[in-house]
Amino acid sequence: MRGSKALSLAPARSLPGPRFRTALVAYLFLAPALVLLSVFTFAPLVLGVFLAFADYNVLTPPRWVGTENLRIVTQDPAFWVALRNSLRYLLVVPALQLAALLLALLVNRRLPGITLFRAAYYVPVITSFAVAGLMWNWMYAQHGVVNWVGLRLGLLGRPFDWLNHPTLALYAVMLVTFWKGIGYYMVLYLAGLQAIPQELLEAARVDGAGRIQAFFLVTLPLLRPTLLLGTLLSTLAAVKVFEEVYVMTGGGPFGQTTTALLYIYQKAFQEFRFGLAAAAGLFVAALGLGLSLLHVRLFREGGLRPW
Amino acid sequence: MRRGLGMGVAVFLLVASVRAGPMGVTLEFWTISLRPFFTDYITELLRTHELQNPGVRVRWVDQPVGAVVQKLLGSLAAGTPPDVVNLNVPMAAELAQQGGLLPLGALLRSEDRNRYFEGMLRSFEIGGTLYGLPWYVAPPVVAYNTEIWKRAGLDPDRPPRTAEELIAYARQIKDRTGLYGFMPNVDGTNLLQRFQEAGLPVLRGRQAVFNSPRHVAELAKWVRLFREDYFPEETLRRGYLGATERYTAGQLGMLITGPQFLLRVRHDNRSVYDRTRVGPYPLGRGRVIHAPLMGLAIPRTSRHPQEAMRFALYVTEDRNQLAFCRIVTILPTAKAAARDPFFTRLPTHPTAEDHARVLDARQLPLARDLTVVVSHQGELMKAFRDNVEAAFFGRKTPKEALDDAVRFWNARL
Repeated sequence: MRGSKALSLAPARSLPGPRFRTALVAYLFLAPALVLLSVFTFAPLVLGVFLAFADYNVLTPPRWVGTENLRIVTQDPAFWVALRNSLRYLLVVPALQLAALLLALLVNRRLPGITLFRAAYYVPVITSFAVAGLMWNWMYAQHGVVNWVGLRLGLLGRPFDWLNHPTLALYAVMLVTFWKGIGYYMVLYLAGLQAIPQELLEAARVDGAGRIQAFFLVTLPLLRPTLLLGTLLSTLAAVKVFEEVYVMTGGGPFGQTTTALLYIYQKAFQEFRFGLAAAAGLFVAALGLGLSLLHVRLFREGGLRPW
Repeated sequence: MRRGLGMGVAVFLLVASVRAGPMGVTLEFWTISLRPFFTDYITELLRTHELQNPGVRVRWVDQPVGAVVQKLLGSLAAGTPPDVVNLNVPMAAELAQQGGLLPLGALLRSEDRNRYFEGMLRSFEIGGTLYGLPWYVAPPVVAYNTEIWKRAGLDPDRPPRTAEELIAYARQIKDRTGLYGFMPNVDGTNLLQRFQEAGLPVLRGRQAVFNSPRHVAELAKWVRLFREDYFPEETLRRGYLGATERYTAGQLGMLITGPQFLLRVRHDNRSVYDRTRVGPYPLGRGRVIHAPLMGLAIPRTSRHPQEAMRFALYVTEDRNQLAFCRIVTILPTAKAAARDPFFTRLPTHPTAEDHARVLDARQLPLARDLTVVVSHQGELMKAFRDNVEAAFFGRKTPKEALDDAVRFWNARL
């Protein structure tokens, strides 16, 4: 009996079971992506964390300095201005998401030529920032169209360079982010809207729900995963904003539009203080992580409660 | 298996042959934004060099201006640097301070040293050590729109001779025509160069000294002009590019520019170009002109420093500089090249660019790149720029701004 049991178990020990084989095949399929991620994401991540505690200028080996970089960064007023600007940039998130959702609702209708509108709203997304930045530079210039319209409508007393205004420049750049991002999130919400079964909306109407009630009681709850994705992506993009600011203001005037990522760029590539840049990067990563967790938590519990 | 091994060996040999030819060495030469307009010139330059130097091949790589420093850092870190690289003075200063460039003093014979204008060669001395050979230079001239000048009551035959006269002309243009007269180069850290042109020192030994009453008066002068709206706000953000655009649109009385930008005016607005005349850059008390300078440097870890130095000398020799200047309005850094009739005589029907070239050639002995080189370059320049901008926007008085900047500099120097 023992002999037969041993005999029956023997093949199971020498040959892996179907679950093991399935897992093995799955990992083999995942391997190329995992290798790429390890080399280009995880390894730089680990190295970046190490550099936050080192003095490094690329050309000489890193030198361990403990928490010195963290101390320098937290004592630099420019860093806090940059972080404050990145947080201010979050203002663009609700406006962008709301506008994209409304636009998606609009282009979700079967109207003649609607495909053209969808494409038109998406054009800014695929326009490079080098081009968009130059165009907006001209529009915001002292002799540009924004001032012309403002003067014509009597909203401005005199023309000024919007991107050079210590208070308004950041908001002017935010508007460009809004303009450039709206098409992307519109497509995201359009896909979400089109995935909602029509039967549910019809059932709501049969039950006597009006358009607004159907939107709030059927469409919006079913769109929650897309809303989570949209706001999460938009929030992270706002915290990590770089290109717009770099191209349009370079952080000026006198650092008033410097964002956290631009600060990191300046430390790394203009001052060659890669350790300081990595230390500042840790703070930005922590901020992004915190905001992501907050998002997930809010949406898991059904969104903000009206308390 | 054997075939695969054979292929591998073949690929390896092919790659290896790109790096080092069978007869000798292969140099890698990086330039900044010269492709595609100057492809023929560089290709011919390299072809002639290879004919004159059998066994030395040169591989040309053109880099965009905004990425060359980062790419060079990356290649230095990876141990695969170019052998000769085109850099301007600020770039050379940054890389030299990080230990990325080879000191050239010991490789440069005195007869070669004497080929260049002294001021230009010294512009590449960083901390007393030479890190680059000057290649070409673009001292500024004053281009002016004669139609706007006439409307302002100015005589087109009498361009401004002094810095004060330039400002007076700009005021008159704005007062009489409503158009801006000029966009002075006071954006970013350019004020440091204006200080030097006005005969005001920036450093004394290792101490920053740009907060004396005369420095404060100089900054206050520009702040007052800005606040009285004698030059547009975008001057501080867009600098010479914004000025070139505005001048090309026929909306600026004078353009203080390197002569190569006249080409852009000609391409973009022929009617403005036809109304353009050129005057010399008005000298300040310092009797020196800031001229943005391009040079050639050798990375410290170049595998072939001797050959690289010979190649850099070849690129910057008289006849090669002259040939380059004939296809674009730039000026040579070699004294003999600047004596060529091309720079001393006007053609029968001179254009604005011809005038600019001849005027500029006369200014060459006074030209040097006045970029201030200090340790912690990026950090200190940012502090200076931020403080000066705060003064322009009324957040600080000129004195407070310069005092704060000097305090910051001296704490770091």
